[in-house]
Amino acid sequence: MLSYLIHRILIMIPTLFAISIITFVIIQLPPGDYLSTYIAELQSQGENVDIAKIEALRAQYGLDKSMVEQYCFWVLGLLQGDLGFSFEYQLPVSEVVGDRLLLTLILNFTTIIFIWLVSFPIGIYSATHQYSWGDYGLTFVGFIGLATPNFLLALILLYFANVWFGTSIGGLMDPIYIDQPWSTAKFLSILEHLWVPVVVIGTSGTASMIRRLRANMLDELQKQYVITAKAKGLHPLKALIKYPLRTSLNPFIADIGNMLPQIISGSAIVSMVLSLPTTGPMLISALQSQDMYLAGSFLIFLALLTVVGMFLSDLALAWLDPRIRLGGGASK
Amino acid sequence: MNKHLTLFGYLFVFILSFANCAFGYSESPLLSKMVKNGKLPPVESRLPQTPRVIDFAGRNLEIGKFGGTLKMLMARAKDARQMTVYGYARLLIYKPKTFEFQPDILQSFDVIQGKKFIFNLRPGHKWSDGHPFTAEDFRYWWEDVANNPKLSPVGPPKVMKVDGKLPQFRILDNLSIQYEWEKPNPDFLAALAGASPLYIYRPAHYMRQFHENFTANSELQKLVTTAKQRNWAALHNKMDNLYRNDNIDLPVLQPWVCISKSSSNRLRFKRNPFFHRIDPKGQQLPYIDEFIFGIASNKLISAKTGTGEVDLQARYLRFDDYTFLKKGEDRSPYSTRLWTTAKGSHLALFPNLNHKNKVLRSIMQDVRFRRALSMAVNRYEINQVIYYGLAIEGNNTVLPESPLYKPYYRSKWAQLNLKSANQLLDDMGLIKRDSRGIRLLPDGNPLNLIIETAGESTEQTDILELIHDSWLKIGIKIYSKPSQRNVFRNRIFSGETAISIWSGIENGLASANSSPAEFAPTTQQLLQWPKWGQHFETGGKAGQIPNDPFAMELLKLYRDWRAEPVFAKRKDIWEKVLDIHTEQVYSIGLIAGVLQPVVVSNNLKNVPIKGIYNWNPGAHFGIYSPDTFWFKTLPKNSMER
Repeated sequence: MLSYLIHRILIMIPTLFAISIITFVIIQLPPGDYLSTYIAELQSQGENVDIAKIEALRAQYGLDKSMVEQYCFWVLGLLQGDLGFSFEYQLPVSEVVGDRLLLTLILNFTTIIFIWLVSFPIGIYSATHQYSWGDYGLTFVGFIGLATPNFLLALILLYFANVWFGTSIGGLMDPIYIDQPWSTAKFLSILEHLWVPVVVIGTSGTASMIRRLRANMLDELQKQYVITAKAKGLHPLKALIKYPLRTSLNPFIADIGNMLPQIISGSAIVSMVLSLPTTGPMLISALQSQDMYLAGSFLIFLALLTVVGMFLSDLALAWLDPRIRLGGGASK
Repeated sequence: MNKHLTLFGYLFVFILSFANCAFGYSESPLLSKMVKNGKLPPVESRLPQTPRVIDFAGRNLEIGKFGGTLKMLMARAKDARQMTVYGYARLLIYKPKTFEFQPDILQSFDVIQGKKFIFNLRPGHKWSDGHPFTAEDFRYWWEDVANNPKLSPVGPPKVMKVDGKLPQFRILDNLSIQYEWEKPNPDFLAALAGASPLYIYRPAHYMRQFHENFTANSELQKLVTTAKQRNWAALHNKMDNLYRNDNIDLPVLQPWVCISKSSSNRLRFKRNPFFHRIDPKGQQLPYIDEFIFGIASNKLISAKTGTGEVDLQARYLRFDDYTFLKKGEDRSPYSTRLWTTAKGSHLALFPNLNHKNKVLRSIMQDVRFRRALSMAVNRYEINQVIYYGLAIEGNNTVLPESPLYKPYYRSKWAQLNLKSANQLLDDMGLIKRDSRGIRLLPDGNPLNLIIETAGESTEQTDILELIHDSWLKIGIKIYSKPSQRNVFRNRIFSGETAISIWSGIENGLASANSSPAEFAPTTQQLLQWPKWGQHFETGGKAGQIPNDPFAMELLKLYRDWRAEPVFAKRKDIWEKVLDIHTEQVYSIGLIAGVLQPVVVSNNLKNVPIKGIYNWNPGAHFGIYSPDTFWFKTLPKNSMER
């Protein structure tokens, strides 16, 4: 077990290294750099741009150096815990990110809980009442959730939340609580606003989770041990929960690693539409304006989250299901 | 010592109470409270000796009352700078309607033969932290910032150079300064009055701590390390931006001062207790205590505005939001006003006279081709279909509100006439057509033109769809190609783009004193002749010499205009410029005067019903002095919470 752990952790290092190279190169791929975005923006406001001044800025930001040099500069900083400098905000990246990280984690964590809470009972119900009206009805609803574009659902829910409940549109809290210290009222206001993005981001995840749980359950329910248990007069609920459910739990755990990046990237677009103070909109605007250190550090952070998430879900899976063997490579 | 102070204090109070009777200045209750607590000096010593009294009668404004929080929406935290635009406190400003210069922060200014500029400050004028604003602040910028090789590696801004030469800077006394050039500098005043102005002063008392000439190296190094900057120069440049509102410690002269960090999601601006303007009753402006910019994605802003979340909003609203906003008036107490915009053309087509391909370049440079293209655009149809007939049709030129306007500038070569357009193209020798009826170029290729857009709005592609149909009738097939703004510009600069669509000239309200730079190839950023502009801009180091006699003539006229201080003669030059521009059709204007929706809470007073929404001159709301806006009934004041 210990060697497996060490092996997995060591493998993370080259993975993250490769990811850092790829993200850095991709961010730099579009023509131009942050300053060309900056020039275009000044132009669109009718401001004059002094070419000589831009060249001086380019030198000051180190954008005139080769890509390799820029990369080394960034990675060395990362290793020392320095996330770099955001051109657009004129601040160190760590300061720009600030509260957003916490709110992002709250949002994504709540979404995962929401997905589990909804899909768990529905999945079981659909499996035990296969081909019934309830199964079809819930599946239908689930598929609608899967098929509706997130941003559209977001806009519709926003509109009705505003018209019916008077919730202010967009954001994670009422405007008066922004930048205020944490308080009960602020927390309640966040809860009031949180449900829209959670439902929106959760719907597609819920649908696929329901289907997976249903399929796994159906596989198990037809197995002979279930029939035997029932024939022997075991209470139907116990016959359901004690064995079939436990074996079909795998996708829940295995999905943590998958779900993290999916939810984070999915929530980026929804956050954009709902203008949530999470990291998504910031990442997108950083990519648009080629604010490379901000974007790069974000992506590395997401990558780290995913790699660690995968690792944890693998560990949990191994602990949960004794059939899974450690170090798959050895059995080849 | 102590005794002296008390005595002095009594004397001070006495003088002040006397002054109070004499001038009768009054202030916001919010500030009175702070004065009582001893946190602020009284209003008489905060205002300059002669504050600027806003002409309420002339502007049709109502005297207001203090208080309230004005809510607005912005798309990015970076938009904090919009507060500097709206605040519009400048050394001198444009007057509404006439667009003439008028001193604002300055008490007065003198211009002698367009070469010598004398600025007089208001005695007793103070920065927002209470420190006096004096000639030293100008000297600091000129000598220690603009001419410091580390802070400004390329020297002072371009506007400060005439034919590459810098002015003589002189301090006349503690409150007056003078700039003198060898030749007239016609851009100087306009730059100072701009929406994003040229700042020729800095709060020297604050900035010195970041300057190596004034602060010991060891202390400076500490500041540099804590701010994670490369060196002191980078730190200084980061801290000294009077426009961006990104440093909350930097003293300013604006009506409202930023009190939120630049990465925040909600930007707050509280009133500047030392602001230099008053109303005729002696009340210190601004009326409104606090501004709040909520940050929301720009696509949500119209929706949020429609639910009545804001008190004033125009930025990020577009004409197509108008019906939605109008509908929201039933639910929330606001009114949607339509202001005119002042661009010469809301959208115009720019044939690239510097195209890479020799054949295309030669037809683009043929005036008959450009005239034919212009005459084959059905502007009436575009106006009716997309703008409900509310826009102005015609060329990319000055607007009817401009004192230089003549009707034919807008109408010549801009009337739909397919027959003449076809005739012109036939005259050019483009007679052969292919099986689809598309004309063939001299090299045998069909005349397929790609019109590139920056891909930011469907409006442009909709218009191109309409133009596509009418140009097909003169044998030209167009395709539209959206890209992304940077790519869009770089392709034009390098001559890869045949025709582009973008907004027309910025200042449609030009007067004889405004610069005609946009009408001549003076910069790379002009999309019809980027390489010629680059040639002029870089002093011949890059780009190409214009090979079009009229473009050369425009450049000559531009130079003449710069050297000419007399108003009447400047007007003559402008007429020649506009004549050439009209005849040569260098850009194909489509529609202008597209209306800008402005949402105003019914509670908010002194916002004009009809206005001009323009960046420069105008500074959006700035020219209408938002410091004179006030709330009839006070909403909950978040400053007191």
